Amino acid sequence: MIAVATAHPTASLVLASGGSDFIRNRSGGGCIQDNGAFCAGWVIDNFDRYTTPALQHLVLVSVSVALGFAIAFLLALLSHRWRWLVPPVTGVTGVLYTIPSIAFFFLLLPITGRGADTAIIALTAYTLQIIYRNIVVGLRNVPAEARDAGRGMGMTDRQLLWRVELPLALPEIVGGLRIATVSTVALATLAVFAGGGGLGSQIVAGSNITFRTGVITAGGIAILMAIGFDAILVGAQRVLTPWRRVRPG
Amino acid sequence: MGPADLLETGRAQASSVSYRGATKRYAGADAPAVDALDLEVPAGDICVLVGPSGCGKTTALRMVNRTVEITEGDILIGDRSVRAGDAASLRREIGYVIQQVGLFPHRTIAANIATVPNLLGWDRDRVERRIDELLDLVSLDPELRDRYPAQLSGGQQQRVGVARALAADPPAMLMDEPFGAIDPINRERLQNEFLRLHAAIRKTTLFVTHDIDEAIKMGDRIAVLREHGRLAHYATPAVLLMASAAVFVEDFVGADRALKRLALLRVSDIALWEAPLAFVGQATAEVRRKLDGADVPYALLVDSDRRPLGWLSEVDLRADLVPAAPGSRPEPLLDLDDVMRDALSDLLQAETRYAPVVDGSGRIAGVLSVEIISEFLTSVEALTDEHSAAERPVA
Repeated sequence: MIAVATAHPTASLVLASGGSDFIRNRSGGGCIQDNGAFCAGWVIDNFDRYTTPALQHLVLVSVSVALGFAIAFLLALLSHRWRWLVPPVTGVTGVLYTIPSIAFFFLLLPITGRGADTAIIALTAYTLQIIYRNIVVGLRNVPAEARDAGRGMGMTDRQLLWRVELPLALPEIVGGLRIATVSTVALATLAVFAGGGGLGSQIVAGSNITFRTGVITAGGIAILMAIGFDAILVGAQRVLTPWRRVRPG
Repeated sequence: MGPADLLETGRAQASSVSYRGATKRYAGADAPAVDALDLEVPAGDICVLVGPSGCGKTTALRMVNRTVEITEGDILIGDRSVRAGDAASLRREIGYVIQQVGLFPHRTIAANIATVPNLLGWDRDRVERRIDELLDLVSLDPELRDRYPAQLSGGQQQRVGVARALAADPPAMLMDEPFGAIDPINRERLQNEFLRLHAAIRKTTLFVTHDIDEAIKMGDRIAVLREHGRLAHYATPAVLLMASAAVFVEDFVGADRALKRLALLRVSDIALWEAPLAFVGQATAEVRRKLDGADVPYALLVDSDRRPLGWLSEVDLRADLVPAAPGSRPEPLLDLDDVMRDALSDLLQAETRYAPVVDGSGRIAGVLSVEIISEFLTSVEALTDEHSAAERPVA
């Protein structure tokens, strides 16, 4: 890891010619020798080396966002009930959000040790601010007259929340989830510093950072993953909010 | 299917609503928002709460379903205190319509209407049947069932709001400026529709408005409130317009009190003039004789069924026989059922002093003139504080 921190482009060939595994795996002719921008042949031959990191990445993102949503949702409901909670919760999640990610991993290492758990704790912490704020804003933007009508017709606070307020806040809630998910896909590439694996192992770990084709491939997979997650969330929102698609008549 | 055949509507007996010294005091406010209000609304009536903004009329209304909690005193629905039991179950038994309608944008029209039945745990079939009945009751196309509120016009949305409030056949309804956000033409139509609906279902209705014309039109009784929800006057619209029991009422109702009273009368309520009639082919000399001493200085040409064809001019009467084509059309043509205020406005708009009035089958019943209305207005102004006159039955 220290090597990574100090690595620079010219060091790559030195490391690569060290007689390690990398040489064999980097078969692919001149493109590899020259560290070309993107060596398609090498990617085809070595694609299996991305399978495990990609799956790890998927798990890191899914678990972190799911956990973050669960915690943020709970905090938002509490803040909806007790308004005075909004500033302190926003403050605390805001502080978590501003901690530099690598620093966060190193801060956690002595406590939670190396591994996916540590990475997930940090990634979860980063999602809280965005998801929490979006749920709170979504609930706040529910039209007052819908709330008045619901209460006036005899809905309890809980019925009002689940039948009126949360459904109407759904677009904002999904909006928060989309931002949180995409940024977590990006941040999770650093999970490797906490020993959490993921696509970062193919980008920033060892000497990989200097190997352009590898960096681009892993980055490309991360981008595709972000697009995939986003598409799923957009699709889910469309299915869940049919009233948003009607034309005024 | 007429309202009388409905399965659910009208099953429950309407209940009276009684304010018993009902008071609302907000923490930190010097004066109570509603101060010891006593008000008795008989079962089945529409009681309109009217008054200037800030007079506490909406607060008074909301105290009934405890969306505003009562500080002192009580409100009874039938003989049951609203303070007994929990607020949510009380509210499910009281219809609630608000100005902004407050339809749930994420629910279909059917689901909106089904709100209270679903809260009450009705089974699916009963809820579905009820939705069909209510759409019919408020004259909405059943095709709108699966639409969302955003797809409906303001007037249609307000009808859904009324249907939703009636869904569980509540014994009483609260309406907070229900037509306030609707344009004047549609408001008029919705008001008429609601009056027709109310005549069929007779739900005790408390209706808040700041518009005295709406109050007069909608109310069986009008409660005029002034600051702090103090009852300035409580009477039928006719009495309120005739009598000036409190200076406040006079101020609020305004100087055109007599004109407003015209809104309560129909053409048939007033003595009309007799028209000098003329028939096609009749000798004009005969018609001229009729004109001498008649109230109206023009002869009205009618067909053999006595349906007005038009007014005869001087020129028309120069011939020996009455011509088939009169000098002017019989416009405006009024109906005995027309409201006096509309009749007057028709006369003024046509810039004419006389208008023939016909009965339901189109036969001439008499002539209404600006003079008749003017005499009536003068006689109303002469009557002050005379309840005997005020309580004369009106249509």
